[in-house]
Amino acid sequence: MTPSILVVGERLSGHLTSATREAVGVALGLAGPEGSVVGFLAGSSLALSVTEFGELGVTRIRTREDPRLDAAGAGAIAVSVVASAEAVSASVIVTGGTEFGRDLTGRLAVRWNAAAANGVTEATWADASALRVRRPVYGGRATETRRLTGPRIAIAIRPHAFAEPTAGAATATTEPDSGPEIPDPLLAARRSEVAAAGSSAGPALSDASIVVSGGRGVRDANGFRLVEELAASLGAAVGASRAVTDAGWRPSSFQVGQTGKAVSPQLYIAVGISGAIQHIVGMVSSRVIVAINNDSTAPIFRVADYGIVGDLFQIVPALTKEIRRVRGLPAN
Amino acid sequence: MEIAVLIKPVPEAETRLRARADGTQLDAEGVKFVLAGYDESAIEQALLLREATPGSKVRALAFGPAPRTEEVLRAALALGVDEATWVESPAEGADDPGIVARALAFALARVPHELLLGGKQAGDDEEGLVTAAIAESLGIVDFGTVVNLRVDSATGSLTFQRATEEGVESWTAPLPCAIALQQAWNDPRTAKLPNILKSRKMPIAKIPWAEVSAALGEAARPRSVAERFELPPARTGAKMIEYKSPEEAAETLVRILREEAKVFP
Repeated sequence: MTPSILVVGERLSGHLTSATREAVGVALGLAGPEGSVVGFLAGSSLALSVTEFGELGVTRIRTREDPRLDAAGAGAIAVSVVASAEAVSASVIVTGGTEFGRDLTGRLAVRWNAAAANGVTEATWADASALRVRRPVYGGRATETRRLTGPRIAIAIRPHAFAEPTAGAATATTEPDSGPEIPDPLLAARRSEVAAAGSSAGPALSDASIVVSGGRGVRDANGFRLVEELAASLGAAVGASRAVTDAGWRPSSFQVGQTGKAVSPQLYIAVGISGAIQHIVGMVSSRVIVAINNDSTAPIFRVADYGIVGDLFQIVPALTKEIRRVRGLPAN
Repeated sequence: MEIAVLIKPVPEAETRLRARADGTQLDAEGVKFVLAGYDESAIEQALLLREATPGSKVRALAFGPAPRTEEVLRAALALGVDEATWVESPAEGADDPGIVARALAFALARVPHELLLGGKQAGDDEEGLVTAAIAESLGIVDFGTVVNLRVDSATGSLTFQRATEEGVESWTAPLPCAIALQQAWNDPRTAKLPNILKSRKMPIAKIPWAEVSAALGEAARPRSVAERFELPPARTGAKMIEYKSPEEAAETLVRILREEAKVFP
């Protein structure tokens, strides 16, 4: 069996995202020693990411140089992705499960007529042309296994579910994709502005390996700063419960939960969050959960691995100080 | 503006999940199905846009089995949606997102849809594939994780923001367009009793599965099939950290995270 797998590269500030790197690892695993993995990049100034693909062991890259695709929706990019998949006779297209990757995979279900799945945490061959995938459902409260039947399969993998590959450095060569013209309606939307996420300079919420979230217990917008200082000491992303975003202490982009973002970091620290089911379903699939709350009966302690019952206004600054100390950061 | 809202029945958030006897999927026996949270938000958004743009109509569509699909469509009518269309699902394969999308795209040929609204994902399978797949079927653009959706009355274009990994993006898009909304930022209204009573008598257009499958042909054959549904071992509750001072609590937690949980950077 010699499967050909296409990995769609997504870039953030010119670099391949960690989600794309993880997708490369999945693709290399599915390709096996006999198969091949081909990268795909669209937009302008692609050279840096071509090199990065090479460093991960992907040496053949399909490129669509088109500055219009730097700020286009997944629909426009799907046109070129499918043309490249056909050109390399791909049987599987893998993307990182970011907002873009999930959107693209939905488009590919129709445009490429693929069996498609998002949020994949395991992917193995069920037979020569079918994949068996596992994915968390119901906010991580259950896991389903699905069989995706080829010959065309598109999956978006869940961030942090897979390790980045360590393959040695290699030089990648590019092949321009001269696929079909992108229909005008798919390019008509315009992105006018990108504001940095949140107020902290930390990583993006859905992509972070550590998330520190604050809830009603922080009392007001000012109290939320303690949460952000703790996050900064850990290099973590900042999240919030719905109580915080509803009160306007932080924008809705911070919200973790059923009606916000679902996160699954290695470490999730819940500060002053009681643990309504609304919030739990957005974070319960985190690997290790720590809860800090003054109410020992708060439901959050039922899903947490470690708990501290106490006044967050005392515990959190002490924790921030201790973390800065052991990490060798200056006290602030 | 002609607005079509995609909705889906999902188990109530408090549902105690369990697998069917054959272990392949959720046992729906005795489960109470409700309108998905994101979908409620999508309906609210549609109603707000209708209020802001006189002459607009809001129509809800749902794909699924009886009786739960009809029930959520009634709930949408009670909230103020003008018309409802039920696309009947097959007994098996109803959860293949490719089929769901194609069935709804087929139904949309009869439902005007300058703006197609859906939730970011449903609270059950969380695929978040369907809105994008329908948009592809219709040849229109789609955007996920959208907040602050407005119609610019001068140009008729949509303006909105998206929270992505990169930050908060601001967009302008002409119609037609498909939008998957991020969250319940708009604080959905609840149905009033007279409207609930009225909605019981309102017609729901039904498209039988036989008609859908005939139109879909080969594409009606499931290619994403559920094999197993598993529940994780229950979390046993937190290990509580004993301490005499906040400093001691901090030191103990950091030591545990490093040595026991091995998650500390």
